[in-house]
Amino acid sequence: MRLPRYFLFRLLQMFPIALFIVIINFALIHAAPGDVSILLAGEGADPEYMAQVRQNYGLDKPLYQQLGAYIGQLLQGDLGLSFRTREPVIGIIAERIPATLLLAGTALVLASVAGVAIGAVMARRPGSALDTAVTTLSISLFSIPVFWLGLMLILLFAVTLKWLPSSGMASIAGPREGVGYVLDVAKHMILPVASLSAIWLGQYVRLARASVSETLAEPYVTTARAIGYPERRVMTRFALRNAMLPIVTVLGLELGLLLSGAVLTETVFSWPGLGRLIYEAILSRDTPVIMGAFLIMSFTVMLAALLTDLLYAALDPRVRL
Amino acid sequence: MKLRTTTILATALALPAAALADTTLIMPQQDEPRTLSPAPSSDTGGHGPTSNVYSHLVVMDWGIVEGVAAYGDLADSWDVSEDATTYTFHLNTDARWHDGEDVTSEDVKFTYERIMEEGYTFSSFLRDVKSIETPDDDTVVITLNQPNMAFLPMMAQGAQWTGKIYPQHLWADQEGFDTGPYVNEPIGSGPFKFVRWDRGSAVVLEANEDYFRGAPEVDTLIFRTIPDANVARAEFEAGQFPYLPFNYAPPLAEAPIFEADPEINVVYTPSHFSRDLQLNLNHEALGNAQVREAIAYAMDREEMNRLAFNNSWTPGYYAGVSSLQKWIKEDARFPEHNAEKAEELLDEAGFPRGDDGWRFSVKVTGPNISDCSAITEILVRQLRDVGIEAELDRFDQSTWFSRIQEKQFDISCYFGRYGPDPDAYREHFSTEGARNFMSYSDAELDELAAEANTISDEATRKEMYDRIQEIVVRDMPYINVFEEQKMSLVRPGWTGFAVMPDGFNKSISWFGVYGVSGPEDE
Repeated sequence: MRLPRYFLFRLLQMFPIALFIVIINFALIHAAPGDVSILLAGEGADPEYMAQVRQNYGLDKPLYQQLGAYIGQLLQGDLGLSFRTREPVIGIIAERIPATLLLAGTALVLASVAGVAIGAVMARRPGSALDTAVTTLSISLFSIPVFWLGLMLILLFAVTLKWLPSSGMASIAGPREGVGYVLDVAKHMILPVASLSAIWLGQYVRLARASVSETLAEPYVTTARAIGYPERRVMTRFALRNAMLPIVTVLGLELGLLLSGAVLTETVFSWPGLGRLIYEAILSRDTPVIMGAFLIMSFTVMLAALLTDLLYAALDPRVRL
Repeated sequence: MKLRTTTILATALALPAAALADTTLIMPQQDEPRTLSPAPSSDTGGHGPTSNVYSHLVVMDWGIVEGVAAYGDLADSWDVSEDATTYTFHLNTDARWHDGEDVTSEDVKFTYERIMEEGYTFSSFLRDVKSIETPDDDTVVITLNQPNMAFLPMMAQGAQWTGKIYPQHLWADQEGFDTGPYVNEPIGSGPFKFVRWDRGSAVVLEANEDYFRGAPEVDTLIFRTIPDANVARAEFEAGQFPYLPFNYAPPLAEAPIFEADPEINVVYTPSHFSRDLQLNLNHEALGNAQVREAIAYAMDREEMNRLAFNNSWTPGYYAGVSSLQKWIKEDARFPEHNAEKAEELLDEAGFPRGDDGWRFSVKVTGPNISDCSAITEILVRQLRDVGIEAELDRFDQSTWFSRIQEKQFDISCYFGRYGPDPDAYREHFSTEGARNFMSYSDAELDELAAEANTISDEATRKEMYDRIQEIVVRDMPYINVFEEQKMSLVRPGWTGFAVMPDGFNKSISWFGVYGVSGPEDE
């Protein structure tokens, strides 16, 4: 019965944290040199025009006033207008979220499921040749910079073998709806999903292997075996279930980073998602878009943390919320 | 349900058939457009699409290097009054907006007047305009307050970016060129019509069959956003598009690899820009003319050329570039490399080597472009050889730009411009010049530069600009290093890109693809 109250408390807690995040982001962005008037007006532009641009965007006011105006606007649920396009920030961000969720979500599901399965199998044969090979491979995958891996995949599968499209989310001249479109997007997803999940996969394999082999050494597993449970049952019922706790923690954290974790992958594969939007917005000092995107991302991180805690309670009865 | 299946089938069947007959050109570009309205802001992602959808009054092609000041676009021809203050443009009578309306002189007047009212970037090219009149539908008369020899060439150059002509009948009831339904669904009068913009991916245009110069050869034109230069290069090599623009091009040191490949044509395009060093005269040592001269001696352009540019760039010893041949003063030369002489001058200037071997320290910076990075890396080493404790200081492009505007730099690589008209010297070296980041000021030069721009007699003008070059080389607030040369890659069979000699005067603007045609068997 205490759960709803706890949930409500955690939800309310998000707002002061969000305010803190807004202030920090605002300070960081304004500490960086370069302002939007130069970028909008272009090099060697008329100083009067630049002054006018600053005035139009409220950049001529003192910083605390700009911050105050921004927070006031946020309280009314308005993320403002983009400096670059003069369109509502909320729409610009919403337009990019599905592409990012599709890419990062698929990669995360693939990486976590496959990673846990491989890790669990390896944990039963520690020190075998296969285990050594998988461990080495997963450390390598975990350490490879994602943009480099992406580029190598493009070179191999798109340039040399010409099996798959190299970048973008769909063929420009291809079908725009129906089965044809779905297949087209699926084809475009293979390389970016492969490179993104490869990085995460290494992490899950290592995590699952360590965690499962730890639980396999626990006395209750020995007891279970002594009772005569089949090995499969020992694995799923006793070892894996207990080993899930650290894995769920990492998964939860990464769920929160879903929206932001793919900046490099999206840039390499020209994927029209949120990560690329942020990259472009930062390069052009589009403060409202940067702030809006960070705000939405911080809410997803906080929500994911809350979900993780709730899941903990379900998995481990010792945890009382 | 039935209907949907039919649509899919029809699309699937129609596509390959259409692909056979049509020429599709995909142009890669690094940035996503901000908007598709060119006037309010300089927009590296928008220039490509908007230059092909909209027309200009007059425009400039890379052909400036062939000595032509401006090409007509909407203007077929123009007359200049003897006192060089009245320009009469005669418009093409066949030009139509994409919605079928006639393009008239009123559209030109409306666009330019709004640009001036709003103070948009292009208004700096129109600052001397006194009045714009439209005696009839096909004539625009622009009167200037004072003679300005740079008016036409500068206006033609600026038009590439932000000086396109808007349809009055669609925009008159909007407050500016940044609001309303046509910002991102442009209706222009250019060779291509807007089809759609897939945010984050591509802008799709189709040929305008009613274009007043005749329909373009390319049927579908797609500007695809590919932020990563390595990916763009990989895709070019995979044959995804036939043209890799110079801003993606790999380092020049790799040029021999491409030149050896029969499947790639390497295109070099001269320009009226240089790569040079701007010296901040407020710096304790750089304020000393002897120190600046010493830096010119310390610099070895031949070594830079060999290490960074595969010996393919032309070292710049004049205060100009050779594409503006007739304006160059050949006797005004920057010194050639001589490290010993540099050390002597530094000793004389009162900056002997200290106990630690260093004379003074400087920070070397530059814009985030690959050739400037290469130049500054080598320069730092060459300066250290003569006892100047030089260090690299790097920033992203916008940070670098605001720092040099605020004069927070010691030495910066820069892209000096000498054309399309020599009035560029005023912009760079006069006390109030917009590109004078050096804090350089010389009374004689200020006076000469202001006067030279009002004189229509070319021989007299030339004498004045000769003198300006002598003053600049005497004082060395900047040092020319190289003449810029752009390298682009094109697949054989494709012709008429703006960077190619056969496209110079056909492409309609630097971003235009009107002149492009694909391989015949495709």
